[in-house]
Amino acid sequence: MLLPFFQWLQDLAISGVLRNSPWLGPGINILHLLALTVFAGALLMVDLRLLGAGLTRQPLAPLARAAQPWLIGGFIALTLTGIPQLLSTGTKQYYSDFFWGKMEILTVALIFTFTLRRWVTQADEKRVGPVWRKAVGLVSITLWTTVTVGARLIGLLS
Amino acid sequence: MVYLRSWFEYVNEFPSSVALRESLYGYPALLTAHVVTMCLFAGLIVMMDLRLVGVAYTDTPVSQVQKRLFPWQMLGMALSSITGILLFYGQPMRFYFKVFFWVKMVLMGLAGVNAMAFHYSTYRSVAAWDSDVKGPFGARMAGALSIVLWTGVIVFGRLVAYDYMTLSD
Repeated sequence: MLLPFFQWLQDLAISGVLRNSPWLGPGINILHLLALTVFAGALLMVDLRLLGAGLTRQPLAPLARAAQPWLIGGFIALTLTGIPQLLSTGTKQYYSDFFWGKMEILTVALIFTFTLRRWVTQADEKRVGPVWRKAVGLVSITLWTTVTVGARLIGLLS
Repeated sequence: MVYLRSWFEYVNEFPSSVALRESLYGYPALLTAHVVTMCLFAGLIVMMDLRLVGVAYTDTPVSQVQKRLFPWQMLGMALSSITGILLFYGQPMRFYFKVFFWVKMVLMGLAGVNAMAFHYSTYRSVAAWDSDVKGPFGARMAGALSIVLWTGVIVFGRLVAYDYMTLSD
């Protein structure tokens, strides 16, 4: 059903420019990787703290607020550098199980991060038990690791 | 370089090196694990560097960030080194001819020197500026240099995958 849309994306003039340039593709790919590093760092600062490791002497809520601009900035950069890669290889992505797997888990990860994870990091630490914090940290790391693995495998095994 | 080359050629013929090179999923699995472990290592290094520069986690004392992240950074370094060494082990002669592979190695060395130099100079006086939003020039410089060098490591590491700057035999 979505195939014509992906075909259309691939046939856009900008997609051709991206495909035919010797350095645009690799350049965007590298920027995607650098954005991932910032995003993952900001995510782990808080997830480790949720697991009872890392910056344990810092109160959770301010730490999560300090990490947030880097988390959101990293995610915006990931999206901006991800879209051109989708455009230039539309039908390859459409036929890749890893692409769809990544996007499904990404949707779940985003909803989880901006609802449950956000509530637990911003709640009064006395009101949320350590088990809940650990569970949220573990689920967060698992979801985002799965997204990263799926993303890498689009390029390697599709 | 002749000795280095003969050593690379020697490793290249190991049965386990050949097996890794020819396996269907060995290389994709290692490349994927290398990216995931890079997230742990480089992610936490960059977060610490941003604190040194004075633009992130400014409520947290520098020594806290350094001490509490260190074990996780070292775990990330160990895991990305293991996956990296295995990637090299499977295709030594491919990497031998890649200029960007050697650039990446040099940048990694420089990043290590920068970290050590900071640790044994400016960081010794950390008690005096631990909670300052912006530390002394040496600390901000070490943080900025670390970001530049590790960015270079990632850029050239990724570029190794392409055919640019590959020398012929």
